[in-house]
Amino acid sequence: MARVTLKNVTKSFGAVEVIKGVNLEVDDGEFCVFVGPSGCGKSTLLRIISGLEDTTSGSIEIDGVDVSGEEPSKRGIAMVFQSYALYPHLTVRENIGFGLSLAKLPKAEIKAKVDAAAEKLQLTDYLDRKPKALSGGQRQRVAIGRAIVRDPKVFLFDEPLSNLDAALRSQMRIELTDLHAELGATMIYVTHDQVEAMTMADKIVVLNAGKIEQVGSPMELYNHPVSPFVAGFIGSPKMNLLEGDVAKGMGCSTYGVRPEHLEITEDGIWGGKVRHLERLGADTVVYLDTKEAGSVVVRTVGDLAVKVGDVLRVRPMAGKEHKF
Amino acid sequence: MKRKSHYPYWFVFPAAVIFTTLFLVPSVASLWFSFTRWDLFHAEYIGLENFVQFFKEPFLVQGMVNTVIFAFVTSGMKTVLGLLLAVLLTSGIFAQGFLRILVFFPVLVSTIGVGITFTRLMHPTKGAINIALAHMGIDGPGWLTDPSLALFSVALVDVWKGVGLATLIYIAGLASISPEYYEASRIDGATRLQQFWRVTVPLVRPATVTVITLSLIGGLRSFDIVWAMTKGGPGFSSDVLASVIYKQYQAGFYGLSTAGNVILFALVALIVIPLVSWMNRKEVEQ
Amino acid sequence: MSRRQLWTGIAALCVSLFIFVVPFVFILFMAVKDKRAASKLEFSWPTEWHLWANLIEVVEARNYMLLLAYFNSTVITVGAVSLIVIFSAMVGYILQRRHSRWNSLIWAGVMAGLMVPPAVVPTIWVLQNLGLFKTIHGMVLIQTAYGLSFAILLFRSFISTIPRDLDEAAIIDGAKPLQIFFRVILPLLKPATVTIIVVQSIAIFNDFTNPLYYLPGKENVTVQLTLFNFQSQFVSQLNLLFMNILLITIPPLIVYIFFNRQIVAGMTSGAVKG
Repeated sequence: MARVTLKNVTKSFGAVEVIKGVNLEVDDGEFCVFVGPSGCGKSTLLRIISGLEDTTSGSIEIDGVDVSGEEPSKRGIAMVFQSYALYPHLTVRENIGFGLSLAKLPKAEIKAKVDAAAEKLQLTDYLDRKPKALSGGQRQRVAIGRAIVRDPKVFLFDEPLSNLDAALRSQMRIELTDLHAELGATMIYVTHDQVEAMTMADKIVVLNAGKIEQVGSPMELYNHPVSPFVAGFIGSPKMNLLEGDVAKGMGCSTYGVRPEHLEITEDGIWGGKVRHLERLGADTVVYLDTKEAGSVVVRTVGDLAVKVGDVLRVRPMAGKEHKF
Repeated sequence: MKRKSHYPYWFVFPAAVIFTTLFLVPSVASLWFSFTRWDLFHAEYIGLENFVQFFKEPFLVQGMVNTVIFAFVTSGMKTVLGLLLAVLLTSGIFAQGFLRILVFFPVLVSTIGVGITFTRLMHPTKGAINIALAHMGIDGPGWLTDPSLALFSVALVDVWKGVGLATLIYIAGLASISPEYYEASRIDGATRLQQFWRVTVPLVRPATVTVITLSLIGGLRSFDIVWAMTKGGPGFSSDVLASVIYKQYQAGFYGLSTAGNVILFALVALIVIPLVSWMNRKEVEQ
Repeated sequence: MSRRQLWTGIAALCVSLFIFVVPFVFILFMAVKDKRAASKLEFSWPTEWHLWANLIEVVEARNYMLLLAYFNSTVITVGAVSLIVIFSAMVGYILQRRHSRWNSLIWAGVMAGLMVPPAVVPTIWVLQNLGLFKTIHGMVLIQTAYGLSFAILLFRSFISTIPRDLDEAAIIDGAKPLQIFFRVILPLLKPATVTIIVVQSIAIFNDFTNPLYYLPGKENVTVQLTLFNFQSQFVSQLNLLFMNILLITIPPLIVYIFFNRQIVAGMTSGAVKG
């Protein structure tokens, strides 16, 4: 059982406040993703939970126990770093067992635990290698192995996939999701990639400028973003966010509609020339210069018969628009 | 909530204790003792008398002048020769690696050994240098016996011993210059000489700053090469501050010796600090 | 290689053989000659080789003083270099990892250590008051004090290449500060450590001035001092004096052959950044 609770957490570096009062509840066994643009404070928040950073005010509770003043190693957490942070001078076995050997566990017990973790992560054949002799994906698994042997209540991941190439990244997403299912542990995961957030999370926390913008399941955020920021951040291609007269005409200050929620029809309310086309195979993304609403992006079927310069008219689907 | 740092300050403690006791305390104490007549047990305050003596006694004044001459001559020669040697030893010539080893090896050899060896090689009548010169029909000078030459002979040996370090630093500096600059300047029509003055010299500047700084500080503090070769002689003609300090110490004039130390420190500070900050400022401007 | 490079190389080789090799050959020749031949100071091929006899005589001179000197110099070098490595790595680590107003104070100390000429007589006064004057361990501490600054500089810049993530991973693994330093950081400093060991060993082994001031006395003699003392004793036996020079030139030569790369790395560490 491990609930993580943040109460009014703030953090300042000198005069700069980077976390501005965060309240959050991460439930036991939940896969929670912190997402946001760089500099939004998501990594700092993770490091505060880990204990690598102090809070300026507020408290962190794990299982209802205030751990704010506790050493990282006493919090029952484990962390996987963006750079993996494997000790270059130690073998894979020594890397995974490092924490256990610091804790002066009997050798046999360390060996058993390391072997079990290696088995789970298919690292058994690599135990005597140095990190240098491993591929990116293998290093990633060693970093996870080092977390697993600690048997933590909470796993913390700091952008763990950003150093991998695209193919490996999508494979690791699946592996991590499987691992979460298998261990059933609470996991908090930081990323700037909304695809990772959408595909892996039970709960997404969108952060912006040191504050939580919105908390919810992936589909909640997709369907009911509370602000233009969340709306623009979740979903790809980005939601069309229109301001000015168009929005005023719709009775709001920002009017949003996703590219996939614009249909191309003869009697569309907006019309203009096609400026650019992206053929993705299954889909086509159309960049349209409309007279009424300026530039809008439309996502439509793959074999749409248009070319640059053609004139199209589009209409937002009923009930799919967002008014802020 | 604040917890203890994982980088505790007591890590600095052992080094700080040793450094403070054996380096900082004596350095600060020297300021006081230089104003005293001192026999290690009793120090009697005599005001500026030691310093007055330093600036009045001709041989002490000569020691100061010699120190500055020695430092600038050796530093200048090491800088110029070091750069030329480095350019030569990075131009891909035959036996380049071996030549680098040859030039650098004297840096690692005992200064006393080098001093003794060259004292013999520079012997006015029997020394190999003058015998070789005689074969060419040149009447070799009394390298270490001529008072007007002794200091420069010692300086020459110091350059012989130290130029390898300057060369090595310049080689590293040259290696960090991207070959594209040379290619671009060749396309612009620069000759080799123009490349040297317009590309190499400006871009190797950080190495020049290092070489000048190191060799000036070293030159001002030089003691063992002078002591091994001339002991400051003939007369006081090759005395430098460091050898004066030692001589006064041997003679039991501890206050005077310490005043020499303070003057040496002042000399280093007055010459090196403005020079380095000037060179670094020019670097920023570029 | 072009013709030009070949001929420049050959020319440079001839000149530098003359300038840089002749003095060492001279040392060798003098060291193997007999007393009379050596006193002529000629740069000439020895007619008779007395390598072994001269060697034995130098070693046995003054009741095996050279052996004692080698022992003392080795103790001082090993002791001081060990302290320099551990203590300056610790300072470099804190200096690089932790940022506060103390850092500028530490920096000032490091810079002073590199520039300020040691005040010798006051140092003797301090050593006497601490009971360290004329002692080997006093000499070890002096060499440590004088060697710290350079080593701190080198370690600090090397530590900046070790990602902080490693420290933090170790913190999460439950390592205490000393454990982080000795089990994670220090092993990773190996290249810088080797450089410092080599460079400082040669500097301390070759040091003449400091033992001259702080370590007088026959029983404390160091290698460079024997050479200097023998100079007055062997005035008429230059062959032995030069044998002595030959003997103390050999350790740096061996070190240079094995650690050429590390020496170069250490000596040039300041060159590129300035």
